[in-house]
Amino acid sequence: MMQENEIMSDATMDIEDKRSSARISGEFVTVVMIFGLTIAMILASRAISPAFGSWSQAETILYLGSFLVFCAFGQGLVILVRGLDLSIASVITLGGVLTASLMNGSNEGLFYLVPAILGACVLVGTISGIGVAYFRIPPFIMTMAVGLIVYSLCLGFTQGTPRGYPAPFLSGFMQAKFLSIPAPIYLLLVFVIIGTVLQSYSAFGRKLNAVGNNPLAAYIAGLPSGLLIVSAYAVSALCAGFTGMMLAGYANGATLRMGDSYLLPSIAAVVVGGSSILGGQGNFVGTVGGALLLTTLATILTALGFEQGWKTIMEGGVILIALIALRDESFAFLREQFRKRG
Amino acid sequence: MNFFKTARAVALAALLGTGAHAVSTNEASAKTADGKWLIYLSLSYSGNSWQSEAANIVKALAATPPFSDTVELVEVISGTDPQAQISDYESMIAKGADGIVSFPISSTALNRVVKRACDAGVLMFMYDATVTEQCAYNISYITSGFGENTAQALVNALKGKGKIFLSRGVPGNSVDDRHTNGAMHIFNQYPGIEVVAEYYSYWDDRTTQQETAKALASHPDVDGIWAQAGEFGAIQALQQANPDRLVPITGENSNGFRLALANPDYQKIGIDGVSAGSPPAQSGFAFKIMMEILNGKRDALPEGQRNIEYPLPWVPGAAVKLCEGDAFENGCNAFPEGKVPSSFVTEVFNPELLPELSLASALEGKPTPGAEIQPLPADAVKAAPNEPGINCRKCDAPADLYHLTKVEATVKP
Repeated sequence: MMQENEIMSDATMDIEDKRSSARISGEFVTVVMIFGLTIAMILASRAISPAFGSWSQAETILYLGSFLVFCAFGQGLVILVRGLDLSIASVITLGGVLTASLMNGSNEGLFYLVPAILGACVLVGTISGIGVAYFRIPPFIMTMAVGLIVYSLCLGFTQGTPRGYPAPFLSGFMQAKFLSIPAPIYLLLVFVIIGTVLQSYSAFGRKLNAVGNNPLAAYIAGLPSGLLIVSAYAVSALCAGFTGMMLAGYANGATLRMGDSYLLPSIAAVVVGGSSILGGQGNFVGTVGGALLLTTLATILTALGFEQGWKTIMEGGVILIALIALRDESFAFLREQFRKRG
Repeated sequence: MNFFKTARAVALAALLGTGAHAVSTNEASAKTADGKWLIYLSLSYSGNSWQSEAANIVKALAATPPFSDTVELVEVISGTDPQAQISDYESMIAKGADGIVSFPISSTALNRVVKRACDAGVLMFMYDATVTEQCAYNISYITSGFGENTAQALVNALKGKGKIFLSRGVPGNSVDDRHTNGAMHIFNQYPGIEVVAEYYSYWDDRTTQQETAKALASHPDVDGIWAQAGEFGAIQALQQANPDRLVPITGENSNGFRLALANPDYQKIGIDGVSAGSPPAQSGFAFKIMMEILNGKRDALPEGQRNIEYPLPWVPGAAVKLCEGDAFENGCNAFPEGKVPSSFVTEVFNPELLPELSLASALEGKPTPGAEIQPLPADAVKAAPNEPGINCRKCDAPADLYHLTKVEATVKP
């Protein structure tokens, strides 16, 4: 990773090597810090309630946080290629509504329904991606428009009342426990491993990094940057659809607003996790840390029993502090200060 | 505007001859070109079961004879922003509406445009939520005491002692405040009742489930839950946390909740409670009162007396009865699992006030085959008490605002 990055920047533009190497260590520190902060918050919360700081609290956080992790992975890829996916909420709803209505409470045909539902979501993402990559529509506008259209289609299709139930297999899986740990937590682990490999260690991920770092350079180097951008949006929609499917299994049904509470947190998780909102930089492990930090925070704030206004202020405050404290610019600044004094 | 309307009515009368003359002696006199009443159905947003069902009821009634021949119904969805609803009302007035039946987004922000509509001769009927402008009719259960009655039922089930969660609605909303104030009025009388977590669930099943799961992480030993709409999500969260333990819970009218209350397996592991709260049927009741006034079969109420109370549904677990057909018949009040989604709000029917409706009316807005609009019973319209900020501005709430109507305290504070 490190070597390739250096070669890349050497070959393309004369960006200072020093910063590039400093960034990688900064990224690592960010990941360690954010997980450290999350664990510290869980342990410290014992002061609020004796039930806190326990394994069962961690279990709840991992369980509820997994939905955010799923959709934040896709959001992270889109942000990596200098985009933003605002259609996530609608695609989650689409995934959930299709899951409930097509499965209709039976395991029959699960093997083709699951790919069909996820395929529909991928199609939505592909349309967004084509608009962004080939028609040069700003990602913000393109994904917002596609999101609105998808939401309206769901509204019309369900006439406002989503019906049906997910397959018993799916809802059973969300309730199941292996070795007294909820099954979705294993799924989360597998997802994190696959996601990390895909984003940071596969050829696909490295090409996305290259496009995000410098689209022109990537193009000159012979990368199909248009296709890569489209695929990032497609993967994002795939993840959002998967999130919707899991949510429908968790709640044993769908609602039209089920995706709303994931849109902004998915962006926040990516950015808190150390990725640059401007693209070209970031890793999935950091995003996972960001998602778990946000979920932990929400869990603790619910238990604190403050007024809603204070809760929201504290939520915003912690996100800001995390962002400021965990930026590699801050590390670089600190390093600089020490150097000057020395 | 008035001149325009009169001119149109005169032209219409001239066109249709003397026959139309007899009809146009009512309060409102404008009709669409084909001689139908022009009625607008103005919604907030159409994204949850409750809103869709309430709108479908009005659509189904408007398609039931004789309304199918005399009413032209136009549906307008304004979203969640009061400003959008204000401008939508404005254009309805401009188009010569005879009546607007509406779910108002704000109890105060719409007052000025509502007054303008009344002055232009438009009948204004609000359902469920209210406006404080006195020229509008408010048809609502809000004043019927959901908060205090369910709170007392929960206290009774807990024998006056225990840790509870409050699952509230939307922050800053006047309805949520009214419910919670009523509930806290009861809970505060019992020192043994401790509210250990209070969270906003936005009247949504999924949000309720996740928020309750978060609260359960810190208080797995909770003894009871007082919930507003979305209550079925709280049961799902309890089951997720521990499949062998449920607790007493009060909530609103979702089908899933009623089935859970009546489930003997759940009762064995601790569920107990009551289903009450906001009925979508209010919209149909509002629409029928409005049409009776328009058709001259009912006298308009004087301003200041236009707050009408819809009775509070009240179904304890023992009273849940499954419907065999597609309507509330023989005292049934819930549908078998699989027939409707668990988030379906059951109180769409009312055998006395709205006998015209069946399941297809609530789910798809279709009229019931063979049904005809029946007149409202003579004693259907009951005045609602004043509640400042909810249905009136410069007024005083009655001293016994939070008195219990559906349940008695079985434990002394």
